This record gives sequence, structure tokens and C-alpha cells, in this order.
Amino acid sequence: MGTSVQVTPLCGVYNENPLSYLVSIDGFNFLLDCGWNDLFDTSLLEPLSRVASSIDAVLLSHPDTLHLGALPYAMKQLGLSAPVYATEPVHRLGLLTMYDQYLSRKQVSDFDLFTLDDIDNAFQNVIRLTYSQNYHLSGKGEGIVIAPHVAGHMLGGSIWKITKDGEDVIYAVDYNHRKERHLNGTVLQSFVRPAVLITDAYHALYTSQTARQQRDKEFLDTISKHLEVGGNVLLPVDTAGRVLELLLILEQHWSQRAFSFPIYFLTYVSSSTIDYVKSFLEWMSDSISKSFETSRDNAFLLRHVTLLINKTDLDNAPPGPKVVLASMGSLEAGFARDIFVEWANNPRNLVLFTETGQFGTLARMLQSAPPPKFVKVTMSKRVPLAGEELIAYEEEQNRLKREEALRVSLVKEEEIKASHGPDDTSSEPMIIDTKTNHDVVGSHGPAYKDIFIDGFVPPSSSLAPMFPFYDNTSVWDDFGEVINPDDYVIKDEDMDRGAMLNGDDVDGRLDEAAASLMLDTRPSKVISNELIVTVSCSLVKMDYEGRSDGRSIKSMIAHVSPLKLVLVHAIAEATEHLRQHCLNNICPHVYAPQIEETVDVTSDLCAYKVQLSEKLMSNVIFKKLGDSEVAWVDSEVGKTESDMRSLLPMPSAASPHKPVLVGDLKIADFKQFLSSKGVQVEFAGGGALRCGEYVTLRKVGPTGQKGGASGPQQILIEGPLCEDYYKIRDYLYSQFYLL
Amino acid sequence: MASSSLKRREQPMSRDGDQLIITPLGAGNEVGRSCVYMSFRGKTILFDCGIHPAYSGMAALPYFDEIDPSTIDVLLITHFHLDHAASLPYFLEKTTFKGRVFMTHATKAIYKLLLTDYVKVSKVSVEDMLFDEQDINKSMDRIEVIDFHQTVEVNGIKFWCYTAGHVLGAAMFMVDIAGVRILYTGDYSREEDRHLKAAELPQFSPDICIIESTSGVQIHQARHIREKRFTDVIHSTVAQGGRVLIPAFALGRAQELLLILDEYWANHPDLHNIPIYYASPLAKKCMAVYQTYILSMNDRIRNQFANSNPFVFKHISPLNSIDDFRDVGPSVVMATPGGLQSGLSRQLFDIWCSDKKNSCIIPGYMVEGTLAKTIINEPKEVTLMNGLTAPLNMQVHYISFSAHADYAQTSTFLKELMPPNIILVHGEANEMMRLKQKLFTEFPDGNTKIMTPKNCESVEMYFNSEKMAKTIGRLAEKTPDVGDTVSGILVKKGFTYQIMAPDDLHVFSQLSTATVTQRITIPFAGAFGVIKHRLEKIFESVESSTDEETGLPALKVHERVTVKQESEKHISLQWSSDPISDMVSDSIVALVLNISREVPKIVVEEEDVVKSEEENGKKVEKVIYALLVSLFGDVKQGENGKLVISVDGNVAQLDKESGDVESEHEGLKERVRLAFQRIQSAVKPIPLSAS
Repeated sequence: MGTSVQVTPLCGVYNENPLSYLVSIDGFNFLLDCGWNDLFDTSLLEPLSRVASSIDAVLLSHPDTLHLGALPYAMKQLGLSAPVYATEPVHRLGLLTMYDQYLSRKQVSDFDLFTLDDIDNAFQNVIRLTYSQNYHLSGKGEGIVIAPHVAGHMLGGSIWKITKDGEDVIYAVDYNHRKERHLNGTVLQSFVRPAVLITDAYHALYTSQTARQQRDKEFLDTISKHLEVGGNVLLPVDTAGRVLELLLILEQHWSQRAFSFPIYFLTYVSSSTIDYVKSFLEWMSDSISKSFETSRDNAFLLRHVTLLINKTDLDNAPPGPKVVLASMGSLEAGFARDIFVEWANNPRNLVLFTETGQFGTLARMLQSAPPPKFVKVTMSKRVPLAGEELIAYEEEQNRLKREEALRVSLVKEEEIKASHGPDDTSSEPMIIDTKTNHDVVGSHGPAYKDIFIDGFVPPSSSLAPMFPFYDNTSVWDDFGEVINPDDYVIKDEDMDRGAMLNGDDVDGRLDEAAASLMLDTRPSKVISNELIVTVSCSLVKMDYEGRSDGRSIKSMIAHVSPLKLVLVHAIAEATEHLRQHCLNNICPHVYAPQIEETVDVTSDLCAYKVQLSEKLMSNVIFKKLGDSEVAWVDSEVGKTESDMRSLLPMPSAASPHKPVLVGDLKIADFKQFLSSKGVQVEFAGGGALRCGEYVTLRKVGPTGQKGGASGPQQILIEGPLCEDYYKIRDYLYSQFYLL
Repeated sequence: MASSSLKRREQPMSRDGDQLIITPLGAGNEVGRSCVYMSFRGKTILFDCGIHPAYSGMAALPYFDEIDPSTIDVLLITHFHLDHAASLPYFLEKTTFKGRVFMTHATKAIYKLLLTDYVKVSKVSVEDMLFDEQDINKSMDRIEVIDFHQTVEVNGIKFWCYTAGHVLGAAMFMVDIAGVRILYTGDYSREEDRHLKAAELPQFSPDICIIESTSGVQIHQARHIREKRFTDVIHSTVAQGGRVLIPAFALGRAQELLLILDEYWANHPDLHNIPIYYASPLAKKCMAVYQTYILSMNDRIRNQFANSNPFVFKHISPLNSIDDFRDVGPSVVMATPGGLQSGLSRQLFDIWCSDKKNSCIIPGYMVEGTLAKTIINEPKEVTLMNGLTAPLNMQVHYISFSAHADYAQTSTFLKELMPPNIILVHGEANEMMRLKQKLFTEFPDGNTKIMTPKNCESVEMYFNSEKMAKTIGRLAEKTPDVGDTVSGILVKKGFTYQIMAPDDLHVFSQLSTATVTQRITIPFAGAFGVIKHRLEKIFESVESSTDEETGLPALKVHERVTVKQESEKHISLQWSSDPISDMVSDSIVALVLNISREVPKIVVEEEDVVKSEEENGKKVEKVIYALLVSLFGDVKQGENGKLVISVDGNVAQLDKESGDVESEHEGLKERVRLAFQRIQSAVKPIPLSAS
């Protein structure tokens, strides 16, 4: 019968966790998205780790952490080795997003879940597709065709159509039907009657979307209000997704109003991001590509925005009010966090959130109503080791090397040791708790990995396994921790060295900071301290998420009217709301599985193929109706030479069949049609249409159905015996085809 | 004959539906004005829309008058060169064409610049102007863009494009109509060069391959040898104090040559004092396009781009006009147009042609009829622009950098694809014939047809693609065996067919079914029993019942129409629309009206039953006869009650009783049989229950 389809969520159902779903089509396993959150919580990936090796293909939909963040980790640690499919912008901007994440993390913690190399490895084998490119899978997936289509949420963002044997499985999350400055709206509504639609209910309960112009006006007014009183504006943004729209809005507004306030776009990869975005014009909205075609104006040739890749440049910028767009949007890491801490206590400043922060992050905390007066923030900094610490580190390194040698020679013993230490294996050595004050010695290189990842070898002198621990003897005064300014002087030199080396960089695409970090193998440590930040600045949230709102989602799904619907990625309430709505109005098969719960959405469709013989077809008269043509056939089944079933004409006249009226009558359209024919027509109460003096026409039966999903239409026409009646009946008939 | 068949498209295509016609309107046995017309299953496509660079005005256009532009569904442009795209503004704005136009992003961006420039420089009288700048701007609004590999569907025509390698944004189009695939290569090159990717090999083999044959049976020298010859000629000329003129087309290959020159100069510091000029303001404008669409170029240039923009030349300076040029010593000038027809390249040629120290390098394919083509044969004298003749002393070198596939590339490309039909276009007649001969030896098994149609000469092919339908839903619950009947709604969308039960229509398609319930009230003041009595007289089935709500009597006539007494003065009729029920209700209405008009009067006419049956039979016969005459014309009464129908000399005999038809002509037999069947079902009484 139909193609077998099973859906198993791995992460991101009944909550707003990152997205990751397993869809198996006739035994071929697709991983739809491979997301992680900004906290890099490994426990979220446990379901994925159980199935990672059985996955045959990965499809990515958007270039942000929530949709592809776990890819490097899964490739490195979880045994994911399937080919990855994505559009060119998702690939490129996704790569930059991951670089930014890594560099932001590395700067403030001993981040070791994945390295830059892991990111490169994960992304180098991405197979890049263009929108509506039908890609035929080969090998195990023979017969399956995948195609990305415009999603409208982020540059290159895709909804995926997976087709096998004429049955479509559509994966559409985070789409936006509204056209924006740099993106076209989604084409989701062009798909009709797919076998399965997997979509998110994220915004199902969200309704108030102000008109774009109104929203833009408020947005710009809020910003300029704060700038004019001398305040700074911080927009915590993502690395390469929604930020592009914000940049365009600001850019346009600044050139219209001739503002002199500087705008800074500060991420570790900002200049590469914009460089690449400039060459992605064909993925953007029609108006952008049109303006380029006619006047060669590249919309992302930003005249008012300064691209910065390290914070020193921002600190060196002339004082005065400014707008800074900095990553990460969650305020968990990156420049945005540093700037927030610096600016939060000035009431003239503004922190403007453009999307709902991820659950459990600082951004989300600040968005709660009423906003908190104080927040507790742990600030960390990477400083190179110096003096005694450096000596101690080197000794430690030497000792480790010796131990390493020892370990190699005593492999067997080491195995036994490992089995003796259940405490080590059950604890999570990969998570580093930055909430407590600690110093951790770290550097790049194999020795480093051996310590923390492969097997933690307890020093022979110690009784129980423990991390090297140094007591933090920092001195505090009224301004916080007393630090040695010299520690920071060296950092600038790092930058210079990085810049020099950049020319030799193989792909030349990494920014200086990245290069310096990558090349900096000198021992360094992370120092953390906890601060209480007074939040006196204004906190404003505006919706620039670029997702369809609840109403549009519903009408969109109704238009697509899938045979089976799977809901994912939303809090329980929203999921349940949309599920009920769809059950009542759209289709009877709505599923909202739990994590690792497999739902079978195999279509119970019966189908067989027949050949239409030339003889039969020569007698068929098609009637055109919209995109399609319809005809009634009566035929007899025969066999062709190749043993196919073939339809032949009936040898004798077929017995008459029950006539069928085909067509979709819209009362409003019919009203226009009638008035164009000179019939007096008006709406009476209850959806009825009064035609002429006496005749009324109405739709009966279940109302509000869209796409005719809930059955044939029922139309009632009544009136007294008169000429008008027959005339209107004729007009009504003319709207249908009688088969 | 071919041309007339193109215009006769309005006729029903049922028989000719499998015929595929390909007609070059330009570029058939010639180079220039590429334009290939294709039609299959009522779908029509035009590939490319160029002009002939050697002609001007209307003469440069493809033979558009051979076709009806309004019937064309899709127009696909492969790349921005004038001989592939320049008649587009004319075709869009001055003809009845109303279909859709597609090209790639880069092509569209350059197309506008190039044509605007073309309009400015072409020195023809206003009447001869095919279009002006406004037409170009208007055409921009109608052109849609397609990305490489993106599948687009228009009216059931599916198409997508592959990288062609020839110039930036050049595409090869694959078209799929009802499962028949046609590949149109446009100009293509399978060799990767300094900035472009090589043409891709499509993963599907097409049924027809329309391929360029510009290079004929020539085989290009290896790229590095050509580059060495090129740089050697330049180096030795300037070393001797001579000047080098490179007439080149503004866009496309010129960028490649500039990359070579810039690199060579960078590697040879001794040349740094010799200026290189590039005289094309147009190319300067196009640089933004080249910088933006780096993603359509090869990896080499993308990696270079990461460090610095390779299209920002260090040793090459732009030159706006000959007035800015100080001709004081050795120099290298690349100038447009490539054919030396007029403009700066011709001005410089006139000045330099008689000095034997100077060189002229022709870097690409030259169209017949241009001066560049003439001087390749190294004549003793040439005619200058002012009409005087001058000796041709300068050295002329022909070093082809044209990114057209050579014979080796073409034959390997075709061998990989193995298309059963090959159509050669875009090549000079002689070159094309040689290529055809040589390809024949490559495909000796005879399964491959190679055709070289001239302009306006049609190639006709037949593709008997089977029509397959998918039966789905309730109708497919049981898979039928031979001899079973299948009845349902056949839905055709594009070229896919589905058969389904009417109740499933709304499930599997966007269409929906409807039922129309009609309720009509008729004034009637008499007794309800009278109506019942009368109805029973006429209709075979009249059932009495009482309305559940009101308790008033109701009648169900023919299991279709419910007659109810609404009040003292009214009765109502309710039924669900279909032709039979409508008819039944009409007769009931007539009956009721007659009752109220004529006051109860019962007429019994049962004695006439036998007689009327006989009369009916006669009537039926008459009707059948009349209808057959209206269909076939010559219908005569034959022996033993048979009807003899003759059409175009073919005779069929129809037995009116059994419906059997005898005829030697299979087609006529079938038609008569069908017509008779339909007539019979129309004149016979309606069966009681047809549901």
C-alpha cells in the first residue's frame, strides 16, 4: 500500500527546546534538524545519541543554533555520519553561527564539547541544494526525492519536501508567510494535500502581530528616543539569521533620517557574515534582487553599520550614544552579555529584545513581566597564565606527559582502573560548571583532551579522582575583584599576532579573533566571578522573530490540509490548542508525540496504477477546472502486453452513474457573478444570499471548512415557483461541472 | 509545409498529441540569432531569443513570423550574449507573446546592462531600431529568475537548468513534458577555466539533445598552451615596441583574458611600465555583478575572493574613449566590439593595421561577415572605416579562448548522455556537416539519430509515452481483475492522472463536489389527494408518507422528489439536483399547475397505450436517423433495416437493433458505434433508478 512513514521526536516537543526529529520513510532514516540550545546541555541530546548511527540523511532547515547547533557534536561524539543536506546560505551562515558560538564560549569558559575543527568537519560535507531543486537520493534511499522550499524565516531557511511514490512528507517549522525586507514569504501554501505534514505549534497561541509599518515605526521610535537622550541601545541578536532583517531596517532608516549615531554589528564573524550575505542575493526577496538587477545596488552594502569583530574596537569607538547589535541573543555568552553587564545600570540605556529568549537563559529572565530589578550574572574571562601559575601548569604538563607514557605502557591496568571507578563515568566530565569560582588549567592539544574527555586519570598521589584545584585568592574591593591590568595588556598583543597570521590562514575566512584564538596555544585560564547587576536600563521586547502568528498558522494548515498532521516544538498548551483546532476543523489524524515516542503516520491510502489506453482516452472529454481537468470514465480492466493493468473502453454502454457536481462555490464570488448578470442580490442573515425578490440560496451543513476537507458542499436553493427561480438555478449550475 | 503545420495549432491534438516538433527559427546551420521552437502535447517552448550580429534591424531577428508568439508557454534564455538574448525586448514588447520568460540571476543582471549598451552603440536609424531603452526596462519586469537546479513548473512543463560554463550565469535547460526530456545546451564548455565552472553532466539522459556545434570538429589546444601563445605574442610584440590590439566582446571571455593578463604582468616585473588598457565602460559596470555572483564561479576564484577581489586588476586601467588614449609607445589594448565592426576596436585597428610591428589577437569565435573574420585569412589590404584601403601589415593571430565545447568535449558529453536524438544548432553549415559525419562514426549502432535542421525546417518526432493513472482512495480498496469495470472521476493535473470515486474528490484534489438541494413552493389550493392520484397516473413510483414534524402528508416521487403540503394554499417540492430529478420535478410542477388551472377533470387515455408505443418507436427511429445525418452527413436506409453511412469513401453499416457496426475502416466503425450508443442512451426512457 502506501509508503511507510514513522515520526519520532528526539528533542523539542511539548517545550521550546531545540528541534530534532527522526522520520523514517520506508526504512530510510531522516534526521530533521539537529539543534542545540545556547546552554549546550548535553542531556538534550541523549535521545539523538541512541539513534545517531542509524541515521541515513540529515536535513537542516535554518542557520541558527536551535536548528543545527548539535551537528558538530553529534558528528564528533555521537557517531552521526550521514550526509547533510542544506541550502547554500544555511550551510555557510550555519557554519559562521557555530564559529561564533564556539569563540564566544571559548572566551569565557573551557568549552570542550567541540572544536573549530569539528565544526569544519561537520560542515564540509554538506550537500548544498537550491530552492525547489529535486534531489534524487541514491543507494538505500533510491526513489526518494528531497527538495528544500522557501520558508521565509531566515536567509536560506527551508521547508523540506520528501517525496516517495508520489506521496509527500513535508517538514515545515518556523516559517513566515509575510514578506520581509530581505526575505520572501514561505511557499508552504503551494503544497496541497500532502500525506504528512510535520509542523510546529510554536506560535499557535500567539496572535497580536501589529502591521509591519506600525511595528517598524515603534521599533525605530524606541531606539531614537533613547539615542536622543544620550543613551546606548543594545540589541542582542543571533549571529547570522534574523539579525539581517534588523540591519536592513536600521540601514534604511538611518539613510532616510540621516542620523549620525553609529551602528555597530559586533560578533566574532560579523565581517565574514556580511561578505557572504552580499553574495546570497538570489536567495533574498524579489525586491532586493530586482534593485540589484536594475541599479546594481547590493542591499547589504551597509553604509551606516560598522562591522566589528572584537570588543576592544567598540571600547575604542568615540563615546556617545550608539546602537550595538551583538550576539548571542540569549545573553548567555558572547559580546552581548558583556555589554549588557556594562550598560545595565544606566537608566538611559536600552536593551531591545527582538525575539523571545530561549528557555532558561538570561534573556528570557529579563523578558519576564515585570522585569527583574537585579540579576545575578556569572562573568568569566580568559586570562593567560603567568608567574607561579604558569610554572605550576608546566610542571603539571610534564607530569601528565610522564603519566601518559605510563598509561600507554599499562593499557590493561588502565582498563581495570576504569572499571574500578564508576563514579568517574557516571558523573559528567564534559560539563564545566561556571557558576562556581574555579580555575581550570587548559590549553589546546591532545594532552588537554585526554584529561577531560577520553579518560580522566587521577593523579597517582591522590586517593580519589579530582580535578586539579587551585584556591582562588582574589581580593575584592568596592569595585569588585581586584585584577592586574597587565593580564589584559598581553591580550592586545595576541590580537596583533592573530592579524599577522591571518594572511596564512588556509581558507582566509576566519576573522582575526578566531585566528588568534585558534593559534593561541599558550596556557590560559578562565576566571569567573559572580556579579549582581542592577537592571536600571529600559528593557523592551518587540517581535522580529519572523514567524507566522497563530491565526496564519491555522489558515495555512487548513489550506495545505494534510492527510495526517504531526505537531512539534511548542509548549504543551500551544500544542494541545492547535491539536484540538486541527482535529475539529482540518483533519482527523493529528498527532503530537512525546520524545522518543514513535508515531506511525503511514498513509492508509489504497492505490494501484493503471495504464490509460489510447482508445479510452480518445473518448474522454476533459473539462477544465482551475489547474486541473476532470472527466468521468467508465472502463473495463484489461491487460497490456507488459502485464500492466490497462483501462479499456466499455464494450457496451455503461450503466448510468449518479451525477456529480464538481466545483467549489464561494457565496461571495457567486454574488458578484449574479450582480454582473443584472440580478438584484444581497446578503440576508445567516450567510444566506437573497437573489432577486424571492429566491434565497445558502450553504448548509458543516460550515467554516476550508479546502473541502470535511466533505462535499451542500447548497440549498429555495423559492416560490417563478421565472427568477429557474434563471438563478441556471446561473448556479453554470458554476459547476456536471459529470 | 513545416511552417504551415506550426500555425495550425488550434486543431484538436488528440491524434497528433504524440508528435514533437522542433524548429530552429535562428541558429539553424548558422551562428547567431539563436532561437529554437519546440512543441509537444500542446505545450510550446522557445529556447533563446537572439539577434544576428552581422545584420541590423529586422533582418537580424530570428524568423518569428513562422510561429504564433501568443501560443508560446515558456521562453528560456541560456545566457546574456547578444546572439542568445538580444531580441528578447522586441519579442516581449512588440509581439503577441504572453508566456513566461526565465533566465538565471546573473544573466538577468547583465542582460540589462548589455542591451542598454547595445541600444546606445548600434548606429542604426530610428526606424530600424528594434527596441529602445524603455522596452528593455519593461522587459525586466516580465523576466523571471531561475536558480541552477531549481525545478519550475509552468502549465505542466517542468524545467530546470545546469551550469553551462560558457560565461557567468550561462545555463543548459532540461525540459520535461509528460516524461519526455529535452536538453538544450545553449553555448557550453566542459573545461574549467580561471573563473568559471565546467558544464555539468545532467544526471538524467534526455530523449532529445539540442546541442551547439560552433567548434565543429575542431579540437582546442590545451588551455595552458593557448595561454602561453597568447602571452608570448603579447610579450614579444611589446618587447619590440609594437602595440597589441585585442578586439573582444565586452563581457564573458574578456574577463578571462584580463585575469590572464593581470596575472602575467604580476609575474613579469619588466613589463610593468607597459600599460594595458581595457576600453569598456560596460565591463566596469558589470564588475559588481561578477563580484556578487561569485557563488556561480569555480572554487579557485572563490578562494581568491576570500583574500582580495581578483576582479580588481592591478595592472590594467580602463579607457573610456580614443580621445583619452595617448598612443606614445608599446601598449596592450583590449577593446570592443569583438568583430571590429565599428567603435573603438575598429578605430585603433585603422590606426595600427599598416605597421608590421603591431599585432592583433583575435581571441574567440568570429561571426561570418565581420572584419575580424576577414582578417583571419590575412588579406593584403583592408578597407578602412573612411572607405580608403590600407595595407594589412600587422600580424594577426587567432588564439581561441571561446568557451565553446570542442569536438572532444562534445563527443564525450554526448557519449555520457547517450541521447537517442541529437539536433545540432548554432554552427556554420559546413562545420555542422563535418561534425554530423564524425558523430555518426562515434555512434555506429544506428540507434542515435543526428539531425541538422536549417532555419524554419521542422524536425518531427513521435513519442508514444504511455498515459498512466493512479487509482486511489475508495475506488482502489479492491484491486480489480481483468474484465471488471472501473468507473470514477479522472482528474488530470499537468501530465499526471488520478482516478477516484466522487466522494474522494475533495480528499485527493483541490476540487470539491457539491450537492444542490432545491426547494420550491407552488400555490395550490386543492386537496392533496388529487395530486397524489394524478402523480400515480404518470409516475411508476409514488410513495406516501407523513412529515414527521408537521404531520402533514408527503409524497416521494420516483425516489427523488418529495412533494409536501406546506399549508392550505401551498405545496412544496424538494429534491437534490441532477438532470433526471430536475426533469421529474419540472413535470410535477407542470402537472400541479394544470390541476389548479383546469379544475379536477380526470382524463383516461389508456386505450391508446399500444398505439402510442408504436408511434414512439417510429419517433425514436426518426430521431436516430436525424442525429446520425447531422453527425455523418450521408446516411441511407440500407437493406434489412440497416443504415448505410458513408464518409470520405468509407462505408459503415449499422444494425439499428443490436448496435453492431460493420466497416472496413476501423476508425469510422468505432465512431459510428460510439455515436449510436450515445444516441440510444439519449432517446431511451430513463430507467427507474439510476443511482
